[in-house]
Amino acid sequence: MKPRRRLVLVEDHRLFRAGVRSELDPGIEVVGEAATVAEAIPLIRELDPDVVLLDVHLPDGTGQAVIAAVAPERPGVKFLALSVSDAAEDVIAVIRAGARGYVTKTISGPELSEAVHRVAEGDAVFSPRLAGFVLDAFRGGEMPGDPELDLLTAREREVLQLIARGYLYKEIAAQLHLSVKTIESHVSAVLRKLQLSSRHELTRWAVERRLI
Amino acid sequence: MSTVAGRLPAALARLARLPEERVLGGVCAGLARAARVDATLVRLVFALLSFAGGAGLVVYAAAWTGLPEQGRPQPPRSRRVAAALLLGVGVVVALRSVGVASSVLWPAAIVGAGVVLALQQRGDASRSQNTVRAVAAAALVVGGSLLFLETATSSPSGSSLVAPAALVVVLFLVVGPWIWRLVRERDTERMERIRAQERADMAARVHDSVLQTLALVQRSAADPRRVAALARRQERELRGWLYGSATGDEAGGEMLGRALDDALADVEELHGVRVELVQTGDLPLDDRLRALVLAAREAVANAAVHAGVHDVAVFADVGDTEVSVYVRDRGAGFEREAVPQDRRGISESIEARLARHGGRATIRSTPGQGTEVELRLPLEAS
Repeated sequence: MKPRRRLVLVEDHRLFRAGVRSELDPGIEVVGEAATVAEAIPLIRELDPDVVLLDVHLPDGTGQAVIAAVAPERPGVKFLALSVSDAAEDVIAVIRAGARGYVTKTISGPELSEAVHRVAEGDAVFSPRLAGFVLDAFRGGEMPGDPELDLLTAREREVLQLIARGYLYKEIAAQLHLSVKTIESHVSAVLRKLQLSSRHELTRWAVERRLI
Repeated sequence: MSTVAGRLPAALARLARLPEERVLGGVCAGLARAARVDATLVRLVFALLSFAGGAGLVVYAAAWTGLPEQGRPQPPRSRRVAAALLLGVGVVVALRSVGVASSVLWPAAIVGAGVVLALQQRGDASRSQNTVRAVAAAALVVGGSLLFLETATSSPSGSSLVAPAALVVVLFLVVGPWIWRLVRERDTERMERIRAQERADMAARVHDSVLQTLALVQRSAADPRRVAALARRQERELRGWLYGSATGDEAGGEMLGRALDDALADVEELHGVRVELVQTGDLPLDDRLRALVLAAREAVANAAVHAGVHDVAVFADVGDTEVSVYVRDRGAGFEREAVPQDRRGISESIEARLARHGGRATIRSTPGQGTEVELRLPLEAS
């Protein structure tokens, strides 16, 4: 039996908030809602929820701004980024700011609930699209600064490719003859690299993306 | 020229000290980052300059005083003025140490101060303030020039050339800021024109696509599949326009990613499924890749027709040596032996088509769990 999760919803479309609220499973309680960065920051500080479901773009700023303001004093709060269809660099940026995962708004209710639980437990949640972005960002290996952080292992690459192909964790585990826990730890390792790497490529890649 | 003049202040405004990389005050690290060179090089220059009568030290002190720390606001005005004065002293010291005569330097310094004052004229200051500034600046420029002319003419050599040259310089210095301002205004105007045009483009685009789609959605409200398909197509179109549209057009040819996207959008519309495409890397389209796109399209269409699902996931991975496309559904699945011989979709449209171009298709399907079609096409060594 999963513990009940307290969720704050930060998203500027009222209709979408209502939709999410009605679709989440009963194990998730929406304790607060905010539509802007300015509303979200004090609300999260006050409520100290397990998970914040955070839109990448808000009317008065980005999801990153919320994470940057709240994360240092509320380390227990996990952020799950959510967006409709974003440019890769925006998504990577919000992950680098500290979000534990990224899902698109077309995700189904049960999948979203699953993602919230998984993030609450400290795991990472990669949608196929995020996996594609990350593979792209870590593509090419010329002159890595710190091999520990700047390169993906062959196994991590394999896991990300399977996520991009639409496999669930348990399917990936079966495919690679590994346990689900091992898959989770690979994904967490990728998330950590994404957040800590000062990889030149990451910035160059983002810049190129913006230019094209 | 106007672009250089326009960029320089922006570059100056970005200058900052980097305390986290500092040896002394982070000045060299900051300058190095701004100029995109190695910090050691900048440090070396400062060290060498210090031999020029200590000029390096003075300039360093000026930068330390006047530059903000990275990410902090600009220091107060008094500090910036002090920094500017220090910088002036540093330049004078440096020039003296390389043998420029004092008789030229001090008048030049005075004229320089006048010019700086003139450049500081700003739109947001009041008119009277600007007038006072202009008068003071003109006085400094004229005074410095007169001093220069006097010392120059009293010295025996080259006086006939120096006087007119000095006058030209003075004229340039006085008129220069005014011209600069004109140029900047013209740049601003052009930027605004470009912005207005972009807004108009955006409005036209929104009208042609989004508003039309919304109208169609209202008329099809009774048919959820049609509404979903319309919304999907609109989303694709908008996303392509916002984030990816230029990848094909500007490179001069169509790209694999765009072709796949278009092909999948067709299937979506035709069969009312949702196809999620994830892609890494991209390539310009050629005949072989076109065959791959057609094979992928067929695989998605098969999933749409036979699997009985609403979602199909497609992952296209452009590697160094080959391109792979995976088409996956969680539908009915099938057994190859059970497919009637006259159904040629898989063997003709997918396997044979790919094989003709040196590629290979693998189909994994479990009845009840879904199907994954894997298409691989080696890249020809070029």
